[in-house]
Amino acid sequence: MTAPTESTPQAIVGRRRIVPALRGHGGASWHRWRYPLTRRTPLLIETDYNRTTLAAERRILNPRPVLWTVALLILSFAPPLFGDNSFVAASTNFAMYSAINVIWMLTIGTAGIFSLASLATVGVGAFGTAYLSVYFGFPFWAMWLVGPLFGLVFGIFIAVPAIRLEGFYYALLTVGIAELCRVYVIQSKTLGAAAYGLFGADGFVPKGMPEHEGLVIGYYAAFVLLLLALTLYRAINGQRLGRLLRAAPEKHEAFAEALGINYRLARIQVFLISSAALGGVGGFYATLLHGASPSLFTMDQLLLLLAMIVIGGIGTTEGAVLGTLIVTLFDKVFIDLGPVRLILIAGIMLITVLFLRGGIFGIPDQFAAWRAKRQSERRGLQSGKGGEIMPEDAIEIADKQSIAVRRFDARLKEELRGLISDALIEEHRTTHGKRRSDPLERVLTFFRRQAVADKYAILAVKAFAEYRIVALSGRRGVPPRVVDDQVFATPEDALHGVFVKRVQDLMES
Amino acid sequence: MTDVLRIENLSAGYGPLGVLHNINLTVRAGERIGIIGLNGHGKSTLMKAIAGLTGWQNGSIKLNGIEIGGTRSQGPGRYTHKIVRMGLALMPQGDALFHGLTVADHLDSGAYTKRAWRERKQRREYVLGIFPPLQKLLGQPVGKLSGGERRMVSLARGLMADAKLLLVDEPSLGLAPKISKGVVEALMKIDIRDGAMVIAEQNLSLLEGKVTRLIGLHAGKLKGGSVSPDVPLHETAHHH
Amino acid sequence: MDPYYLALTTVTLAAIYGLLALGISIIWSSLGMINLAQGFTFAVSGYGAWLVAQYLSNNGVAVVAGGVLTGALTGALIGGIAFIPLYDKPNFPLRSLIATLGISLFGGQCLLWIFGPRVKALPKIFGYGNIHIGPAVASYDKIGSIVCSAILLLLTLGWMKSSRRGLEIRAMMQNPEGAALVGVGLRSTAMAVMMVTGAMAGLASVLLSQTYFISPFAGVTPLVKGMVVALAGGLGSVAGALIAAVLIGFIEAITAVSLGGQYVLITQFLFIIAILLVRPRGIAGMIEHTRE
Repeated sequence: MTAPTESTPQAIVGRRRIVPALRGHGGASWHRWRYPLTRRTPLLIETDYNRTTLAAERRILNPRPVLWTVALLILSFAPPLFGDNSFVAASTNFAMYSAINVIWMLTIGTAGIFSLASLATVGVGAFGTAYLSVYFGFPFWAMWLVGPLFGLVFGIFIAVPAIRLEGFYYALLTVGIAELCRVYVIQSKTLGAAAYGLFGADGFVPKGMPEHEGLVIGYYAAFVLLLLALTLYRAINGQRLGRLLRAAPEKHEAFAEALGINYRLARIQVFLISSAALGGVGGFYATLLHGASPSLFTMDQLLLLLAMIVIGGIGTTEGAVLGTLIVTLFDKVFIDLGPVRLILIAGIMLITVLFLRGGIFGIPDQFAAWRAKRQSERRGLQSGKGGEIMPEDAIEIADKQSIAVRRFDARLKEELRGLISDALIEEHRTTHGKRRSDPLERVLTFFRRQAVADKYAILAVKAFAEYRIVALSGRRGVPPRVVDDQVFATPEDALHGVFVKRVQDLMES
Repeated sequence: MTDVLRIENLSAGYGPLGVLHNINLTVRAGERIGIIGLNGHGKSTLMKAIAGLTGWQNGSIKLNGIEIGGTRSQGPGRYTHKIVRMGLALMPQGDALFHGLTVADHLDSGAYTKRAWRERKQRREYVLGIFPPLQKLLGQPVGKLSGGERRMVSLARGLMADAKLLLVDEPSLGLAPKISKGVVEALMKIDIRDGAMVIAEQNLSLLEGKVTRLIGLHAGKLKGGSVSPDVPLHETAHHH
Repeated sequence: MDPYYLALTTVTLAAIYGLLALGISIIWSSLGMINLAQGFTFAVSGYGAWLVAQYLSNNGVAVVAGGVLTGALTGALIGGIAFIPLYDKPNFPLRSLIATLGISLFGGQCLLWIFGPRVKALPKIFGYGNIHIGPAVASYDKIGSIVCSAILLLLTLGWMKSSRRGLEIRAMMQNPEGAALVGVGLRSTAMAVMMVTGAMAGLASVLLSQTYFISPFAGVTPLVKGMVVALAGGLGSVAGALIAAVLIGFIEAITAVSLGGQYVLITQFLFIIAILLVRPRGIAGMIEHTRE
């Protein structure tokens, strides 16, 4: 079970990445900027001069920060500004579930633990804080503070088997744990079995506020929660822990261990941190909805969450957010359809998982891989290279010009071979010293261009009586060698003999 | 006599890697053919291509006159079982045994094809005649056997199928010289009747003088041997 | 507490859990797929049996046959959707797991849409009444469940042990490539496996529905229990699944008697976590050579 890791911008050999270019200088000044408390530059900008026009150009090598900023800006004002009450409520749900999914991604993607108990952790946080609020009168801020504690404790409990179990065993176990929580909550009287949920907890929206304003405050709170989740993701995945774990992907742990990386500890750390964060989201959930409902533990809710990350693409934050957006939009737009909309969502999830390797955000990679596969197979089928150098050999040759020369030569020979015919050879024999046809001139020009080594020459054994064909050695002091025992009476005959030999060599090469 | 196997212009490989280039090979009924080549020159790939197990392949492969090759670019192993049912038995390099099953189960599974299943009792007797040591091991799970015994089980499983074409991939691999000689001798004892056998081997001396024809496989091309019973040896050698 | 009652309950539960767990276990080891849609098969079979009882015949055999047949067909459907298109694609285990989850979401909602949220009850196929075996008293229900599951389990195990198809499945459990080399077709075998395990889930569904009601999401709890048993037994091990089924059945019976029904899942989970901490591959995960 390998979750795809975030890819760094890199060019694929043999294909140029298309990056839109901006005019002008000034890219370098971006290198001075840093995210606070890190050494990361917000944007990788390459400054260069256009080879043709010599105009200054800037290229943004990682467009994702720009896209993220635009998306978050739109999210920060659009829903409250343009939507009605139900739309704002749906947006709140979207932001909260995005936060959950982003944190879940830490467990699945970064830590590589395929836990399906994320929503259960949220549920534990929600029920725990709601319980404290209902029975002990905790205010909303205290619930926010206590939520992570519940998450952490629950995380420790479910982390114990994670130390020993691998992959699917753990995934199955966590499904069971979620079901265990559901059954427990439904049967427990203190947690509101009769009322189907534990409600009456404190909320952060001031009482007496008009409905719309209350919803907008709720939305912004959820939006801030999403930002916090993204920051947490960045801080864990992009920093030390994330780096350590990226060195220890599944089935390659031994290598990381040999480097001294304690990947087990790092995994458990990430798992506990994300559990605590999910517990915090649970606290938020309880204050937003004034309580908690057992639906948090149901398999269907979990599957809906899974549908979100599967549609977007497991392993990336943008996948988590986009998937959540799609599913919540579906949920909102087709609300009149009742259970059918869940069927639709499940259908989308099925189609995604059947046809896409890494969800929507995996499409470019999948397409590139498909194209590379087709191309490489086609290349593999060409068994006769005709003297050309295939790209996979080319990396071993330092002088790239020689590759071009070889390719040119090979194609030229191919072309010239088509011109050779008996008529052409006859023409050469009869037209000595006269004007020749274009094909013959082409062939002769190619022959004359040959390097001195092994070039044919004519040796006059007896002038005007006996000529023989020799091949030059190409080295000073080494005499030419005689090629065969043919003897020609005239220089013209000898020249034609050389021509025939050349033609033979050309046809055999 | 018909051609048991006729390969024309077969190229095959995995992803970007082309391993076999334009292979031509004809095997007649009653022939035992040795294909000699070093590691990584495509012996196993040739066998796998015949069984449809390579990443991609194109070119024609005819088993008893029926086309089993063609151009295929994905799904290694998708048609293998059908090819096997048409009369192919491949005894692969890694043995591909079922470690939890007993030797007797292996022999039965070798006779999986419908016709062989009906006469599996007789066939078992016959195979145990060729590999007598297996008689005592029938109830043992294969995971507990030694390397030589496993190789015997792999060969015996292949023989159970009553196949027309037996492909044996590196019978000597990983075995002590003495045992590998025994294995090759057992292979020579097998009565191939109207079928044929192709053995891929690194060690020339093991097969020399025991097979009908020896063909070299170098860098994905057949060399230094007679690729068809009709073509004299020197002609093919000159051609390459 | 009555030891006979305890033993009887244990055996009843073990028989039903064994049916479910064996299905999950066999699918995992022969196809390399975790079938989390087994719960959906369970629910559909319940409805299949109910439809038979409603419109065709109230005869016990017909109802059981209806459930088993629906289960087999649903199993084939799941195989056709989640296994056939995916098995040679990259990242197959994770994607097929998600696909089966998707099927179970899809199917559950479809059932809810078609049949509505109201629960349905199957007729008592074994009739009412008790039977006295020595000092023990057993209801027809329990005896019927035990006999039916035992018959199907024995039939399945015997079939796997001695028939040509069974050999093919066992071969595929061990080494899919080797299986292809002896002429076993992956796809047809996979469909056979899915149908047999689906039939097992269907029978379990009919048997459990003697006590519980049929609802669109009735499959979740049996799925979880079957999974727990399969995990504790070691995925892919037939013997392990059966041993674990007896153990988990016993724990359920003794918890229900001594502590109360609501603690059943908790004790079961503590038990299985304890087992998995000691033996990460389950009870029999190390005894048999299972799929890597």
